[in-house]
Amino acid sequence: MDMNEIKEIFFQECEEQLAELESGLLKLNDGDRDPETVNAVFRAVHSIKGGAGAFGLDDLVSFAHVFETTLDCVRSNKLEPSQDVLKVMLKSADVLADLVTAARDGGGVDEGRSRGLVKELEALARGELPSGGASEAPKPPAKPAPAPVAVAPAPAPAPTDDSGFQPIPFTFDEFGDEEATIEPSSFEVVFKPRRELYSKGNEAALLLRDLSRVGEMSINCDIDSLPAFEKMDPEAAYFSWTINVKTTKSEQDIRSVFEFAEWDCDLDVKLAESTDEELPMIPVPFDLDFLNDDSVDDEPAVENHSAEQAAAVAAAEAASNVSKMAAAAARVEKKESQSAAAAAAAAASANAANAAAGAGQTIRVDLDRVDRLINLVGELVINQAMLSQSVIENDTTGTSSINMGLEELQQLTREIQDSVMAIRAQPVKPVFQRMSRIVREVADMVGKSIRLVTEGENTEVDKTVIDKLAEPLTHMIRNAVDHGIETPEKREAAGKNPEGTVKLTAKHRSGRILIELQDDGAGINRERVRQKAIDNDLIPADANLTDEEIDNLIFMPGFSTADKISDISGRGVGMDVVKRSIQALGGRISISSRPGQGSTFTMSLPLTLAVLDGMVVTVAGQTLVVPLTAIVETLQPEAAAIHSFGANQRLISIRNSFCPLVDVGRILNFRSIQANPVEGVALLVESEGGGQRALMVDAIQGQRQVVIKSLEANYTHVPGIAAATILGDGRVALILDVDAVVAASRGQSLRGDGALKSDMSLAATG
Amino acid sequence: MAVNNNSAETLKLAKVLDLNEASNLHGTLTSLRGKDVAIDASGVERVGVQCVQVLLAAANAWEKDSKSLVIDKVSDAFRKTMQLIGINIDHLLAKEIRQ
Repeated sequence: MDMNEIKEIFFQECEEQLAELESGLLKLNDGDRDPETVNAVFRAVHSIKGGAGAFGLDDLVSFAHVFETTLDCVRSNKLEPSQDVLKVMLKSADVLADLVTAARDGGGVDEGRSRGLVKELEALARGELPSGGASEAPKPPAKPAPAPVAVAPAPAPAPTDDSGFQPIPFTFDEFGDEEATIEPSSFEVVFKPRRELYSKGNEAALLLRDLSRVGEMSINCDIDSLPAFEKMDPEAAYFSWTINVKTTKSEQDIRSVFEFAEWDCDLDVKLAESTDEELPMIPVPFDLDFLNDDSVDDEPAVENHSAEQAAAVAAAEAASNVSKMAAAAARVEKKESQSAAAAAAAAASANAANAAAGAGQTIRVDLDRVDRLINLVGELVINQAMLSQSVIENDTTGTSSINMGLEELQQLTREIQDSVMAIRAQPVKPVFQRMSRIVREVADMVGKSIRLVTEGENTEVDKTVIDKLAEPLTHMIRNAVDHGIETPEKREAAGKNPEGTVKLTAKHRSGRILIELQDDGAGINRERVRQKAIDNDLIPADANLTDEEIDNLIFMPGFSTADKISDISGRGVGMDVVKRSIQALGGRISISSRPGQGSTFTMSLPLTLAVLDGMVVTVAGQTLVVPLTAIVETLQPEAAAIHSFGANQRLISIRNSFCPLVDVGRILNFRSIQANPVEGVALLVESEGGGQRALMVDAIQGQRQVVIKSLEANYTHVPGIAAATILGDGRVALILDVDAVVAASRGQSLRGDGALKSDMSLAATG
Repeated sequence: MAVNNNSAETLKLAKVLDLNEASNLHGTLTSLRGKDVAIDASGVERVGVQCVQVLLAAANAWEKDSKSLVIDKVSDAFRKTMQLIGINIDHLLAKEIRQ
């Protein structure tokens, strides 16, 4: 594995950490005060910093460091995570994400923004600086940042044993110089490694060596929990240490020794309260260079000043305190009498920790490999279909054992396929999380106060769908924030909560994923939309449209109702692009709006782009596949139910309502004359607008799961055709793009409608 | 500790006493249970805490069995690491090499 691969993994982990960070911060924002949440947030930033340090990504490290320092204040309850504090933190999380992206893809970040935030964060950290700090007088909570920073309530007097500690933001370069003026202080470090510390390749001895370089150190090892020889687990952690460090450095410096082991041990660092120790300590003043060569986890931070340390250590070499050693020996002697309970407890907790670690095991697999597997399974499905077909064709004897075997095979392939698809399935959470940033930023820009509520983030859908979902969703969220939600003043005037709510929901419904974006804004102003459409020549001035049809006008190209064109949205390339990208995913989008109460956009997307359940039909001698999800019902039209309408339009009457009859063969140019509806079958399909259309086909062959083969990838896009597939007999069948066909039929009926001209062309090229 | 070095089994410790070695060491010592053991730590270059845990637990077990377990040769690294991690092995060292 070369460095680039490791780096790639680091960036992948960064994404996860950033997601963790953001969701943690949002939880805090919602009033969650669970220390574990704060820890999770801290850990996320810390891990990013750690990795970035290893790759020398200095910008990232220094920003993460300042961020981490401020978070540490929250963690240690020195800083109350108020709304204002969290606002800064959320912004910092965004900048951190930008820095990660910049580090990965190159390019720059908004320097001013990150510098401003660094100042804000530092101010927050300083805001709680205990008075009486040694080197740096506590500054008033100054606000050097461009944005106003609300600093948490006045600092409480620091606990006495903490008086020397100050969370001074520092960078790695500062290590090892300065601090000459500070009196050495004595810290008591209690270090209790857990089993994971060792199993992750850390070594307590090396950590202690690094610690010994921070200052003059004496140590006591607690071996009381060591179990009997035959009962012990050689890889468990039984020893723990109490260490006295006399140093001129800060508590931070001591903690930074344990930086990469912090989560795998119990660590307590505090100023030693008194000099006389009840515990016998072994001084550790000797030259430790012999440990250097083979150290596995050298940290750059420590390396920086090893020379200086080595000198100091060498000077103190002679001092070897024998009497204290004797005392320690006495302790060793009496350990036998110690209760076994402690050992048992230690073992139990180690087991529990292991179980927890084993629960969510994952592996990273290259997406290409998964795709190759999916492709192969697709071929398997086709092959299986071909096999059953040829058995059926040649089976004159009707041997049931072969048929049963085939059925089992079919079931198995289906199961394999489902499992393989599940590999690609991912929760929509990351996309939803990205949206919360967009809401924050856009709301900030337009001066609105908006809350994003998400539901069903764990709904899973194919990765391709997720990847392609982000863009249209971003567009829609921007629209909702910019146009949908009113300004706080207007909202208040309308008797609404000045804080707007945008709700993003995902759920599974009948084999598809349904994503809803709901705002509680003003809703669609139908009068204005209609007027705008007329002004833009999208509809004739005398068009008679239902409310629903008016609402759907916003999906037309070149439509924008924003009074002023803003940076955020309103350039007229909004919803039509959204609609097209959703359609490209095999999805549908619709809108429902209630004036004064808000709008809801509903997107229905297929769970996967690899297979689909379809109805195989014949049209003018061609075999087509119609996605089953689109079909409401099928029926055999009767002559009495067919009515002519206009020059070449026909309607079918179904249960006393009329529905346009769409001749698929005509639209796709398979034939030039109209088919006789009575001789064919009508498939009642739901169109995007909500209305129903009857697609006329010649015959139904059956239902089948088909493997989608992209036409775009292998040939080129064909209007009216979504994709292709290979049938059991080895022939290629085209998969019908129902919405496009319906739109084309509407185009015929709305001749002269500019917006739909592009769809018209499919009749010619299809 | 009265040790007859001639009758004791000698256990030469590996060069690197890391996490992987801890189980091996535990296994080897288990097989030597009930015998007097002389440990040769002269070739040790690196010592991990887990092997020390095994050694100390073994020392306790041997003491309970009234068998002798002595470390009769130590390397500098071994001795210094013990000091670093605050473990006193003086009582385990053979008389000749005690400091």
